[in-house]
Amino acid sequence: MKKTLLAAGLVALMGTTAMAQNIGVSMAKFDDNFLTVLRNGIQAHADASGISVQIEDAGNDVAKQLDQINNFIASGVDAIVVNPVDTSATQAMSDAAAAAKVPLVYVNRQPVNVDSLPDNQAFVASNEEESGTLETIEVCRLLKVQGKTEANVYVMMGELSNQAAVQRTKDIHDVMAAGKCEVKLNIIDEQTANWSRDEAQSLMTNWLSTGTAFDGVIANNDEMAIGAIQAMKAAGLDMKTIVVGGVDATQDALAAMQAGDLDVTVFQNAAGQGQGSLDAAVKLSKGEAVDQKVYIPFELVTPANIGDYLAKN
Amino acid sequence: MAQVTHGLGGLKYDPGKKARPQELNVLVALIVIVAAFEILGRLLMGDSFLFNTRDNIDTLFNQQRLSIIILQVSIVGVLAIGVTQVIISGGIDLSGGSIVGATAMIAMSFAQTALVNGQPNPKAIFGDWAMDLPVIVPVLVGLGCGLVAGLINGSLIAYTRIPPFIATLGMMVTARGLSRWWSNGNPISFPTESFAAIGKGMMPVAIFVALAILFHVIMTYTKYGKHCYAIGSNEAAARMSGINVNHHKILVYAIAGILASLAAVVLSSKNLTAQAGMGMMYELDAIAMAVIGGVSLSGGRGSIIGTVLGALIFGVIISGFTFLKLDAYYQEMVKGVIIVAAVVLDQWRQQRRTRG
Repeated sequence: MKKTLLAAGLVALMGTTAMAQNIGVSMAKFDDNFLTVLRNGIQAHADASGISVQIEDAGNDVAKQLDQINNFIASGVDAIVVNPVDTSATQAMSDAAAAAKVPLVYVNRQPVNVDSLPDNQAFVASNEEESGTLETIEVCRLLKVQGKTEANVYVMMGELSNQAAVQRTKDIHDVMAAGKCEVKLNIIDEQTANWSRDEAQSLMTNWLSTGTAFDGVIANNDEMAIGAIQAMKAAGLDMKTIVVGGVDATQDALAAMQAGDLDVTVFQNAAGQGQGSLDAAVKLSKGEAVDQKVYIPFELVTPANIGDYLAKN
Repeated sequence: MAQVTHGLGGLKYDPGKKARPQELNVLVALIVIVAAFEILGRLLMGDSFLFNTRDNIDTLFNQQRLSIIILQVSIVGVLAIGVTQVIISGGIDLSGGSIVGATAMIAMSFAQTALVNGQPNPKAIFGDWAMDLPVIVPVLVGLGCGLVAGLINGSLIAYTRIPPFIATLGMMVTARGLSRWWSNGNPISFPTESFAAIGKGMMPVAIFVALAILFHVIMTYTKYGKHCYAIGSNEAAARMSGINVNHHKILVYAIAGILASLAAVVLSSKNLTAQAGMGMMYELDAIAMAVIGGVSLSGGRGSIIGTVLGALIFGVIISGFTFLKLDAYYQEMVKGVIIVAAVVLDQWRQQRRTRG
């Protein structure tokens, strides 16, 4: 009797483990605002659909991330979701997962081997070419509305080793080169503030101390745009005359937009990416086919449509 | 050749060695760096680094630049004051930056305002009871965090005898973990106006300068300061001469912790937000400021004035790079070289003086 019960229990246990997917997630870092929204998106979607996820923090360390992936493989997960620390260090991760025949999904950051991924691996993100482009074109439009034909702007870059920072900065130059900007844009200076509000405040004040006249600030993210705004307000500048753009549509940025300080931001659907990556991982683990590149579109946020985004991030 | 005499107790005493204080070297380095930026600016940019070249403002100096030079280092500078007294007493504190992160998160949770642009605070951490509290609450909570962290550091070092490097490394990792756990990595924003006033405008500079003067007096004229130097120079001798070394160490780290948490309060107020990654690398910047300012990592030597000058060198370098529009990809490399060069130069002067 005892044995039958035990056997029945074991069968039931095996049944449940086979039913509920077990997904390992390795995030580049936990203390990044955007990645936190993405991570919460994964967790919420997993809770809602009864998937068991184990989320690890790679602490921005490439080697640690590879170890985590190997640990996931060793503990027999059904699939792995990776938000890569370094987009050029993904080949080893793909190889490790492929050798163990465990499906792998990259999320948010485009791996260097994106065009040569094995069949059971995929990439879910937004196309960074859109973010900087949407931002720059809207900044140009607003400058045109102000009646300018030529405008001087400062560019604030994110961490220089980060693909999004490099791409969003390149987008600005591409928009200018392609003639998509409605005014003649001159970049006075281009510096990094490492995605940080505090560093952006200092950088902006340093720029202000040169006394050069300018019409706008294009930042790679919202935190830096807010830092720039705080520095300009401290220096007594009228924010109505200066066009400031950011990317991410964070709550802080939306509040700054409502206050009339921030003019442009771009919404990247972090929760959508998290959800998309988990869906892809589950499908791959069941042997179903998925698109190898899934793009979640960026969306432009301005005072006109801000109401749609207040509850999203 | 300086005349060698014998002071009390028959110790060799060379009056020549006392003639030029340590800080003078650092001051010279600061002036050299400023002059270098001024000359490079005139040559490359056709503009002045220090002086006002704008027609619409009637001042001799470029006051905006002078103020940002000190403003951008004054928060790390507060940390550096705490680190300086730790290093002088023969220890090291790696936990400052993480204490900044954890304190900012915790203090900001008690400094939130109920309404943002007429809507409920989207970043609310606690319920209504924690909204619009008087400013003293987040400040005391914040300083309390730093005090607890510092007491733990100090007690570990004094009673378990583990090296300060390890004890504070442990605190560095733990406090950073705490700052991430507190709100699951979510930023905490929208403080009350009274909290925002703490770090507004030049307030961080005022706080930094006031603390620098206070600690200069403490380190130079009080028993506490003299015990710091005594323990840092020769711990065994200090113990023999009746100093309660354990109690003193706990006090030193507790003060460092409180200063780190004060920096956190000012930083989160200045930025109107608290984020789990705040204060990252601050401990190393603070140590670099102290070391550039002539504080010896082997203890017993250095001063608050030196550290303040070290902080100013940092500020001048950051502003100078932006002024010269130096490509962002080169800046960190040059900064690293300057840090090492400043210390090598100082070391070289020291050796030459002892030999001559």
